[in-house]
Amino acid sequence: MMRAEDTPPAREQDARVPGAAKARLGAALARFLFRLRQDWQVYLLLAPTVIWILVFLYKPMYGLQIAFKDYSIFRGIEGSPWIGFEHFETLFASDQFVRAVWNTIKISALSLLIGFPMPIILALMFNEILKDTFKRTAQTIVYLPHFISSVIIAGIVITAFSPSAGIVNTFLQWLGLEPVYFLTKPEWFRPIFVGTTIWQEAGFQSIVFLAAIAGVNPSLYESAVVDGASRWQMMWKITIPSIMPTIIIMLIIRIGNLMEVSFEMIILLYQPATYETADVVNTFIYRQGIVGGQYDLAAAAGLFNAVVAFVLVMTANTISKRLSRTSLW
Amino acid sequence: MSGVQLDGIIKEYGAIRVVHGVDLQIKDKEFVVLVGPSGCGKSTCLRMVAGLEEISGGTLTIDGRVVNRVAPKDRDVAMVFQNYALYPHLDVAENIAFGLRIRKVPKEQIAQSVKEVAEILGLTPYLERRPADLSGGQRQRVAMGRAIVRHPKVFLFDEPLSNLDAKLRTQMRAEIKRLHKRLGVTSLYVTHDQTEAMTLADRIVVLANGRIEQIGTPMELFNNPINTFVAGFIGSPPMNQLKGVVEAGQGAPVARVADQLITLPPLKELQNAVGREIIVGIRPEHVTLDNGKPGTPVRVDLDLVETLGSEALLHATISDTPFVVKVETHDGVDHLSGVDQFHFQTDRIKVFDGQTQKAYGYTAGEGA
Repeated sequence: MMRAEDTPPAREQDARVPGAAKARLGAALARFLFRLRQDWQVYLLLAPTVIWILVFLYKPMYGLQIAFKDYSIFRGIEGSPWIGFEHFETLFASDQFVRAVWNTIKISALSLLIGFPMPIILALMFNEILKDTFKRTAQTIVYLPHFISSVIIAGIVITAFSPSAGIVNTFLQWLGLEPVYFLTKPEWFRPIFVGTTIWQEAGFQSIVFLAAIAGVNPSLYESAVVDGASRWQMMWKITIPSIMPTIIIMLIIRIGNLMEVSFEMIILLYQPATYETADVVNTFIYRQGIVGGQYDLAAAAGLFNAVVAFVLVMTANTISKRLSRTSLW
Repeated sequence: MSGVQLDGIIKEYGAIRVVHGVDLQIKDKEFVVLVGPSGCGKSTCLRMVAGLEEISGGTLTIDGRVVNRVAPKDRDVAMVFQNYALYPHLDVAENIAFGLRIRKVPKEQIAQSVKEVAEILGLTPYLERRPADLSGGQRQRVAMGRAIVRHPKVFLFDEPLSNLDAKLRTQMRAEIKRLHKRLGVTSLYVTHDQTEAMTLADRIVVLANGRIEQIGTPMELFNNPINTFVAGFIGSPPMNQLKGVVEAGQGAPVARVADQLITLPPLKELQNAVGREIIVGIRPEHVTLDNGKPGTPVRVDLDLVETLGSEALLHATISDTPFVVKVETHDGVDHLSGVDQFHFQTDRIKVFDGQTQKAYGYTAGEGA
């Protein structure tokens, strides 16, 4: 809402009367200090998050400029010369980077397609379980992998798919099939990676949807029961439409993180033999920046990643706002 | 014939019994209101009729068929909920059509039915709006539309007007009454508001602690309450109740209330009852300020005069017991502030037993 003092005539008046703008700034500062004194407890609670965001999210943005510089740790950020978009040109000329971008898109799309509906399906299934003990047990089992370290999860996956003693190959051999070296075959990387992340996170992510389901007015179900709806019809015609705003918000957030494929899990599961399908932008940045010491090139790749994510989240939000009246902002 | 019959209906949650054998027969096309304080079991009874609560004991019959084990959808009842229970993602037309769509009624027939119902309820201009864009009264009309459209055998209303403001409630009450007159569908209506019960019901069922206290027409309950609970629940303001002891009078029995004597009606239970503890009940409307009629003048300490317009409520105490009188204000209200005496009309006095709280001289069906 536009305040009276922000209106064009007020600004014009500021320009004409010397010192008016200064007085208005002083008044705004006084108002802020008054609010600070009045609600200092609230601001105190807010402070750690604001400090964290400033230190870890905003301050590093200063370093983003190295994406446009020939950066050297000896010359520092200020001392390094500007080179424009040279690093971006190098990146797009690199087969490895283009492959990493495509791999990121493919893995993300697959995760979104299979991984996003999974927590919703789980939440709907939990909601249908009537026996409390069974429901709680099932939920605990499904939430558990989230609390296990990615290193251990990767260890379990590597062991499970091991060609000599892994349970999967043992089963294949039991069926009379030849053992498969899953983790060295590029065509198997994506399904294994997507399956692993779903197993690890789907249960925990279902909590958000379960909470949304818990918020649905019970009278809607009772009314539907009297109207003659079956449980299946109630799920489709009441539960899913009722939690749709939550689904859309979660989808927008997920789309915003589309370029952020689970970095640790890929690092833990991939190997040079599977780079063809496993190497994503983040692992590319890690190898170039940290291992290879090309910080400026890695910064350019990171910036590209961030810009794409920003455009994606903006687009998703706008589409959602137009189609479903639901949006993040 | 679409009557509903409850025979010894019981509801238990584990070891706790909340409804203790309710017997009620609702005739075809009758409008019956279940009324009682919060937690008396009225909504539980309604939900058992709807099939939303399992019946722990007794027999429920709808249209001559025992439906204890019949699914809600097969009972052919429609229910209107307190909080409307409208689907927020559907517009008015889709909300009304929901039950028909579930039952796979042909689309053309649904459209026709929705159109008819919308016309009856004055919802035609709002058919494309979503519930969030409607007022409370309009939402309640949509909820009723959803019930009407299916042409059920029985309508069930669970405190449908509780969420509306006082003015809208009065308006909607009249609409429900008109609708029932027009459609003539057997209706069971739950409310804790005795005014709603009095205005809507053909018969009222007063419930307390999971038991039926009294069943009767609104006027039966008003004029001839079976006990002090019904006397205190029906009527606004409720019946005044004064504790007293029977004393021998000259020709007629009298009650001593603190240091005052009140002449009682000649009831057979009061014969040879000297010394018995009783409760003297009289409605605020049946107390006058003049002593022209046969009765007893009673000294009072006037506390407050509440002016309602055509009427005024006089709040007083009689020997420290609060007492309310409703008088007309033809002569203005100025003279009311000086009142120090009320006049009890003997033939309007109700006498209840001090121990059992039951009414003396009660005859079922009297007072209608």
